[in-house]
Amino acid sequence: MAEPILSIRDFSVDYVTERGLVRAVDGVTLDVEPAEILGIAGESGSGKSTLAQALMRILPPPAVISGGQVLFEGRDLLALPEDDLREVRWKRIAMVFQSAMDALNPVTTVGEQIEETLHAHGAVSADAARARALELLEMVGIPSASIDAYAHQLSGGMRQRVCIAMALALHPSLLILDEPTTALDVIVEREILEQIRALQRRLGFAVMFITHDLARMLQFSDRVAIFYAARLVELAPADALRRAARHPYTQGLLRSFPSVHGGGTELQSIPGAPPSLETPPAGCRFHPRCGRVVDRCRTQNPAWRTLAPSHAAACHLAE
Amino acid sequence: MTYILRRLGFYLLSAWVALTINFLLPRLMPGDPATALFARFRGQLAPEAMQALRETFGLTQAPLLTQYLTSLRHVLTGDLGISVAYFPSPVSTVIGTGLVWTVLLAGSAVAISFTIGTLLGLVAAWWRRGWVDTWLPSALVFLGSFPYFWLAMVALFVFGFTLGWFPLGHAYADDVVPAFSTAFVTDVVRHAALPVATMVLATLGGWLLSMRNTTIAVLGSDYVNLARAKGLSPARVALRYAARNALLPSVTGLGMALGFVLGGSLLTEIVFSYPGQGYLLVQAVRNQDYPLMQGIFLVITLAVLAANFLVDLAYLWLDPRIRESAT
Amino acid sequence: MSASGVATSSGIAVWWGAIRRDRKALAGSVILAIFLVIAIAGPWFVGDPTAPVGIPLQPPSADHWLGTTGQGQDVLAQLVVGTRVSLAIGFAVGFAVVLIGALVGVTAGYFGGRIDGFLSLLFNVFLVLPGLPLAIVIAAYLPSGPLTLGLVLTVTGWAWNARVLRSQTLSQRRRDFVAAAIVSGESSPRIIVREILPTMTSLMVAQMIGSTVYAIGAQVGLEFLGLGDVSGVTWGTNLYWAQNDSALLTGAWWTFAPTGLCVALVGFGLTMLNSGFDEITNPRLVLERAWRAHLIRRGRGATRSTPVVMDRG
Ligand SMILES: Nc1ncnc2c1ncn2[C@@H]1O[C@H](COP(=O)(O)OP(=O)(O)OP(=O)(O)O)[C@@H](O)[C@H]1O
Ligand SMILES: [Mg+2]
Repeated sequence: MAEPILSIRDFSVDYVTERGLVRAVDGVTLDVEPAEILGIAGESGSGKSTLAQALMRILPPPAVISGGQVLFEGRDLLALPEDDLREVRWKRIAMVFQSAMDALNPVTTVGEQIEETLHAHGAVSADAARARALELLEMVGIPSASIDAYAHQLSGGMRQRVCIAMALALHPSLLILDEPTTALDVIVEREILEQIRALQRRLGFAVMFITHDLARMLQFSDRVAIFYAARLVELAPADALRRAARHPYTQGLLRSFPSVHGGGTELQSIPGAPPSLETPPAGCRFHPRCGRVVDRCRTQNPAWRTLAPSHAAACHLAE
Repeated sequence: MTYILRRLGFYLLSAWVALTINFLLPRLMPGDPATALFARFRGQLAPEAMQALRETFGLTQAPLLTQYLTSLRHVLTGDLGISVAYFPSPVSTVIGTGLVWTVLLAGSAVAISFTIGTLLGLVAAWWRRGWVDTWLPSALVFLGSFPYFWLAMVALFVFGFTLGWFPLGHAYADDVVPAFSTAFVTDVVRHAALPVATMVLATLGGWLLSMRNTTIAVLGSDYVNLARAKGLSPARVALRYAARNALLPSVTGLGMALGFVLGGSLLTEIVFSYPGQGYLLVQAVRNQDYPLMQGIFLVITLAVLAANFLVDLAYLWLDPRIRESAT
Repeated sequence: MSASGVATSSGIAVWWGAIRRDRKALAGSVILAIFLVIAIAGPWFVGDPTAPVGIPLQPPSADHWLGTTGQGQDVLAQLVVGTRVSLAIGFAVGFAVVLIGALVGVTAGYFGGRIDGFLSLLFNVFLVLPGLPLAIVIAAYLPSGPLTLGLVLTVTGWAWNARVLRSQTLSQRRRDFVAAAIVSGESSPRIIVREILPTMTSLMVAQMIGSTVYAIGAQVGLEFLGLGDVSGVTWGTNLYWAQNDSALLTGAWWTFAPTGLCVALVGFGLTMLNSGFDEITNPRLVLERAWRAHLIRRGRGATRSTPVVMDRG
């Protein structure tokens, strides 16, 4: 296997709150291989967006990165000075924000927002930038007349497409999609994901695809990482996960999505609610909701174990 | 209804309210200022001037509605009655002599203060906990706590009276001929410098704080975060994103503050014997010149409404979301 | 289910917290306290402020600490006695405009529809009419004195508070407990008084403070124009007489400097109290401060990119 393009080691991110630190990403270790689609799934609040923004170092206050390493194309992003980070951003790693609705500057046209990105990372003539912006918009299916539109003139789906076009402007080697399809209806959602996959095949960039819709994720990704309460609990190729998930949480998740488990058995949701990150449970964080809990789970933090080639989980019971 | 028409309608309504207040005040108020005035001017006033004064105070036999319509018609034709203090000049003529000076003074003070204050606010928000952010807001709020006219008195005392750097009052020196000449313009600037400077100092803190606070909020928005993620230069993030968006609420505030600043400007004029509306207002108050007072209120109100409308147009130009609904 | 008791006491408690924990708020309240003491007790310690007690326009001396006025009155005595009336008017107006603002704003926000349309139009018109000229024309027709001043300042000052409280009410109305109260058939006045107003106490205290600053400043301005009771003794009339006696052109700075300084100190104190309160209640500012403190403890400075604070040392 080739060198991973992104290598996250023991990565932790905290939010400073009035009552102390809240760890929203806790000791995560994860690789992204070149030209793969890595899915990241987890309940709302499990730290997915925090991870994505923190590794680009654009997470605004009151967040701090409290440990670990982020190696991207051989460079440690956590040690990079501001100017070098600016070089990496967008040219190498681009991102479609979860809140694409609010992510566009309300007072400039979408065309200008794409063009300024091109200008910021290399000398291009105004004409060339505009031509490229038109090309990108066309690629995501936006009529060229909309290049001079303002964000409020576009529908939610169109704004999301603009954000995707913008993310592809500089041929990044890693594209982070943070729930890129939340504002879209099912048909448009599928269409856009297909489009991204086609582009990804053609241009060969890697994708980090974040969602809490496990069914969509399994269709779309090569490998899947499952997050629970700020921690990584299972990592496996998509089909291996569908066939034989090892962590009880992942198994629960799979049972709760109709399109995944194929309709044979009854649909079940996981009892209980995810823990607060301010006061996470001791031991395995999933133990209060786990049907197979044993004593060890309540006190001991399960180690990260490789169970099969490229399949790993953090559970005392997984062999 | 489009934005412009809606605003225009609102200002027309406001103007009508001002006119009506003007009409009702002398008729509703207790006491009888009119009688005293008549006693003072008996024999001096020409019968038609007497009649004009009577109308101002509603001391005619005509029914209220007729009086109201007459007064509206007078105002619309620019007839604001006869001034008592500057008898027998009509109020409109008296006000006309001072209007340009007030507009000059208040206008340049607002423009300068808004520009500098907004820039400083941006600097304070961008370099949080920097020098500007740490010291300037408190210092300027302290300066802003003084009454405008008091700052004017101190400035006049120190820079005019004691040091002699600036003239002690008036809009231009007696020995300069009012004309569009370099000599005249420089003289006007010299005379306006101190009053404008004191008004700028007194209002700077407000603009700084409002721009600072909105910029801080805008800096936490998703679109600024995306701008950073895009690797744009800090200058572009600060200007095209933060400043450009934070400016919108500040411009709204500008409209709201105009009336307030104008009030301060009137008082400042008095200290500098500056021949604008404020100076006339004092004369009106001292001489119980009610027609002049009311005329000034009306003219200033109309000026403020017009300025507000200009601010609305600026807003329209700045905010594409509104622009769309206007065209 | 009513949140009123808790919310009212916490509204005040938050202010206490601000004064105890925030330097600005503490400084502001100390300044304010000093002036309140002067206003209440001061007049007993100085002589008659209107009596001619010395040669006119004497600079400060051992006999007259702040010199004498153009009529030979003691400036210090005038300043101290003036404090009482000026502050009384200021606070009374500050209270009145918030009361009216709350009545109008909450009514508009709560009932919505035509009532809201009319009341909103009303306060928007009053916001755009220039306050000082309006105050002058009204005051000119009334007998001069504190009551007139209070009245005109109230008429010209309530609109802003109404506007803010209206939008606050709108957002409160959407809250669950208000919706629950409406569904359970409680009467409107009861819901307003028991559910909505209590959630806005600390905002209203802030408005009262801000309005008092406005009232003191505007009052001094009107009196300076001669619209106060010029035979009375207030900060504004002191300045009126200083201007009238051409204090400036005779170099008698002591007749106007101390008064202006007092106006500014009171205004500054009140503003500091408000901004100190904002600093400890505005969540964004609170968190940003905590974030900076955390970075400093770890020996780091704030950076534009997410800062890295390594645990491993
Ligand atoms: N500014 C903040 N201060 C304190 N805690 C925060 C802050 N922002 C996020 N958190 C906490 O961090 C955790 C992770 O948030 P994050 O947005 O990364 O979740 P997510 O997995 O992306 O969820 P979603 O699927 O809803 O987008 C949440 O539990 C949240 O409560
Ligand atoms: Mg998220």
